[in-house]
Amino acid sequence: MSRVAIRVEGLGKRYRIGAVHKRHDRLSEALMKTATAPIRRLRAVGKPSSADQSIWALKDVSFEVREGEVLGVIGRNGSGKSTLLKVLSRITEPTAGCAEIRGRVGSLLEVGTGFHPDLTGRENVYLNGAILGMNRKEIARKFDEIVAFAEVERFLDTQVKHYSSGMQVRLAFAVAAHVDPEVLFLDEVLAVGDHAFREKCFARLREVRTNGKTVLLVSHDMASVENLCSQAMWLDGGQVQAWGKPSEVVEKYIPKGANPA
Amino acid sequence: MAQSGQEREAATEHVLHIVPSRGWGFPSLRELWMSREIIYFLTWRDVKVRYKQTVIGAAWAILQPVLTMIVFSLFFGRLAGIPSEGVPYPIFSYCGLLPWTLFAQGLSQASNSLVGGANLITKIYFPRSIIPLSAVLVGLVDFVLAFLVLVAMMVYYRIFPGVNVVWLPGFLLLSLITSLGVGLWLSALNVQFRDVRYTVPFLTQIWMFATPVIYPSSLLHGSWRVLLGLNPMTTVVEGFRWSLLGVGRPPGAMCAVSSLVALALLVSGALYFRRVERTFADVV
Repeated sequence: MSRVAIRVEGLGKRYRIGAVHKRHDRLSEALMKTATAPIRRLRAVGKPSSADQSIWALKDVSFEVREGEVLGVIGRNGSGKSTLLKVLSRITEPTAGCAEIRGRVGSLLEVGTGFHPDLTGRENVYLNGAILGMNRKEIARKFDEIVAFAEVERFLDTQVKHYSSGMQVRLAFAVAAHVDPEVLFLDEVLAVGDHAFREKCFARLREVRTNGKTVLLVSHDMASVENLCSQAMWLDGGQVQAWGKPSEVVEKYIPKGANPA
Repeated sequence: MAQSGQEREAATEHVLHIVPSRGWGFPSLRELWMSREIIYFLTWRDVKVRYKQTVIGAAWAILQPVLTMIVFSLFFGRLAGIPSEGVPYPIFSYCGLLPWTLFAQGLSQASNSLVGGANLITKIYFPRSIIPLSAVLVGLVDFVLAFLVLVAMMVYYRIFPGVNVVWLPGFLLLSLITSLGVGLWLSALNVQFRDVRYTVPFLTQIWMFATPVIYPSSLLHGSWRVLLGLNPMTTVVEGFRWSLLGVGRPPGAMCAVSSLVALALLVSGALYFRRVERTFADVV
């Protein structure tokens, strides 16, 4: 029985929204608000308190993923899937609960993070690779593979702003595909590039799976979820609605014959 | 005082704990060391991008302090007749401008660094303090180039440094520490309060007049000198002049005060930064 790679317990993330709690964009406003606080408090005595409006983007989410499994996370837009990945990638902090991850984490919430348009393809490979967690030697070692995967050999020394959008995406994904962490988070990054390239990406993902790495994949493409994932989870309104075999969970999310929401 | 994302290593394992953080803490130095490649690449990126597609390229690094020195020499040296402690005014002011430019540039780059790096902060994790840190380090490249000009000027005026030049790296370090401390404060404040960015040019200008760049500190007496000493850049500038040109007195007590102030800025900046870091991705 393989060990638990990701354990999430009661994870919650609350965001404050609306005009009630206005973000202070100006220092003067914040100072004014602090200065007039006693007056406002006096005025508010006896009146019903207006609580800050807030939403729970994630509420009491708990699950476990073992090493070597691929978990597909599905749900409508705004159901909390990206927030879950952001919390697990440490980009934002949870409001409640906790999570435990065993192994080096690689998180691809967007392809080409950190790409700078004025730098050449070669320079961006190094920059992007370093931001994703590789060190210089590793990038140098994998450089030829990355370039071959992206098929941009001839354009390596051209500035990336002159690349077509397809080339940019291919290069970005090629770097990401070679990061090789133990735990990988993917946020809908597979829906890019042309058909041939997507096939390459899927093949790479299957390789990653057979190497015993753990993957958490957010996707709107039910076919790839059913193809690639060993488990699936349906999130709605920030809560886990269903968990289990991909085909079953997809069926609950989109019953056959119904229109997808 | 729990911190989020504590990493515990058991044998060869690497287990990450993600919990809501509370209270105060420092950026993890260990994490910073492990992310040193990112520091290098972000600095390298900023340096490269600065000079891409420019005609004169790196010469811009030299032009700014040199032109400023010329203007100062004309107006403050000649017109106003400010004394320069025995060395020609141009080299006197340039020697002060050198570390000052490094400091001022560090401040202006750092203050907007987090907002400018929003696309990184919201998409990938690495210790956020790397961003203002690399913004401050970028100025070192310009510093080296401008330093070469200073060497040329010293040859021209036939002023050679004595043994005191060994202290020079110490003053440089003091400058970087101050720059980083204030940079951490400004960058963190700027995420929440965007008008911080607009106060920086003003702040830098006032600070320059509070530092003996244009004038020697011997011009001031008594309690004014003590106040001057509270400004770490005073020690940096005077220290540069003392170790390279041999003018002025060795910094002494003023140096101790300055170092304490610089460390206080760094420590408080790091504490504040770490405290608000958890909200960056949500607010920026």
